[in-house]
Amino acid sequence: MPKVVSLHSYRGGTGKSNTTANLATTVAMQGYRVGVVDTDVPSPGIHNIFGLEPESVTKTLNSYLWGESAIEEAAYEVGRNIGLSKGKLFLVPSSVKADDIARILKEGYDVKLLNDGFRKLVKSLELDYLFIDTHPGLSKETFLTIAISHILILILRPDKQDYQGTAVTVDVARQLKVKRMLLTINKALPDLNFAALQKKVEETYSVPVAGIFPLSSDIVRLASEGVFCLRFPDHPVSDEYRKVAQQLMND
Amino acid sequence: MTELHDLASLASTFTAVASPFRTYLAELQEKYQALMTGVVADHINELALADPRWFGICVVTTEGQTFEVGDCDKLFTIQSIAKAFVFGLALEDHGREYVNSKVSVEPSGESCHAIVLDETTNRPYNPIISAGAIAISDLIQGKNATQRLKRILDMFKRYTGRDHDINVPVFLSEKAMGDRNRAMAYLMRNFGMVSGNIEETLDLYFQQCSILVNSKDLAMLAATLANGGVNPVTGDRALEERYVQDVISVMLTCGMYDASGNWVYRVGLPAQSGLSGGITAVVPGKLGIGTFSPPLDPKGNSERGIKVCEDLSQDFGLHLFNVAKPERVLEEWIGGAEGIDDW
Repeated sequence: MPKVVSLHSYRGGTGKSNTTANLATTVAMQGYRVGVVDTDVPSPGIHNIFGLEPESVTKTLNSYLWGESAIEEAAYEVGRNIGLSKGKLFLVPSSVKADDIARILKEGYDVKLLNDGFRKLVKSLELDYLFIDTHPGLSKETFLTIAISHILILILRPDKQDYQGTAVTVDVARQLKVKRMLLTINKALPDLNFAALQKKVEETYSVPVAGIFPLSSDIVRLASEGVFCLRFPDHPVSDEYRKVAQQLMND
Repeated sequence: MTELHDLASLASTFTAVASPFRTYLAELQEKYQALMTGVVADHINELALADPRWFGICVVTTEGQTFEVGDCDKLFTIQSIAKAFVFGLALEDHGREYVNSKVSVEPSGESCHAIVLDETTNRPYNPIISAGAIAISDLIQGKNATQRLKRILDMFKRYTGRDHDINVPVFLSEKAMGDRNRAMAYLMRNFGMVSGNIEETLDLYFQQCSILVNSKDLAMLAATLANGGVNPVTGDRALEERYVQDVISVMLTCGMYDASGNWVYRVGLPAQSGLSGGITAVVPGKLGIGTFSPPLDPKGNSERGIKVCEDLSQDFGLHLFNVAKPERVLEEWIGGAEGIDDW
């Protein structure tokens, strides 16, 4: 049975897109067929990590939502761009054209279409995993993606604003009867006691912490030009991605 | 408290969208969209303008969860579906005995428009055939024509939770083409079964057929009956509890016109069909189904609507007399229980 994994954070800049890209890639490396949908229509970005140039993109999630194309027509095989040696990786990007973003914000769209689109995509591309990258904060997209996910990953930084926002999101996710929830802590200062941090966070939310990622200058240096776990497979951060991915696959 | 309530209500909208049951309905819609048989009603021009591709399915549970797929906001005239509900209003106005003295509850086995009355009692056979529906309209109380119509519109609002308008061109066409109904009304007045004011009663009858609804309204009408006469979303009572069984029984025996026997056998749900292509079907205690697709079979029932109800009834064991374990458990599909592979 295919598995849907949504990644979400209450606030921006937590590293959602990077985490999504790395987890999706790590899972695909196990020989799986993996899809990624960028539902962050107001500020899309994950296509950069997958090396998908806007000039080569004709169909997007926007075209699907406007009834201009089938969702699978907006899926781009990005495995070759990033040097994926096993499995398959497809990305459905959102449009980066200012006019398109303005149109979708102005007109809105029927959230049911998003649900139907995810399901069509999984069927037509015979996906084993579907990863959904979201816009920060709570919106109808996040409500829907949380409601349909088999696994929800909430990303937070060790920061008061994130702590509070995550509590709100956990409440919402429980109300939406999410099947399984995991936390990952990003951008933790390396001198923090990770074990103590994990214990504290797990006690606060009663949600397991799947992984803790240190603030890494190596990730910053890559600057979203490529998938970290493929560029630096032996880096401790890549080990942590593999640890989290393993929990998704074990589930 | 309000905040929690708002979150719960918003969350319920999204869990309904994400529910495996909605995916099931979406697949049903896709499957039967391809069905191109049936003919759009053309006895009046406005109905003939309907696009045969229009197709909406909506299900509302007695908990108030709403599942919509396809053209659920598309408005159409309610036609005969109004009859069962106006019958309920007449029961509230006069009580069971009096209403039954004017209109019987026997399936007629004749077409909906047959000019025929019970030979011994001079009553129309049931409240769903045209003659019976006209006699029922005659019973609706009110100071004048406007107030009588308003009472009907208010009643529909209690069922659906929203205001309803009348499609005036359809009303005028029905009125202009209404000689057959006029003939029946005069015949019934001859036997003393309807009061003197035939034109006012006929107007009320044509107006009630011209009320605009969508598939969601049809599901809500049925869900309100399924919920004992109380709208499951607004909590408003639309029909006195003791008359709910009257309305539902008449739907079961007469609601699909002269196809009702076959319908009960195959689908086993009390339902009411209209010539615009709507069907409203009740699963008592559980849910209401509303479908809309204009192409009709030779008996005047929506082709795609019949298929949808047949599938729902079989797959979830909704037939009133079903005792076998169904292929799918409704509650599990609605709630998205573990192990349901809807992907």
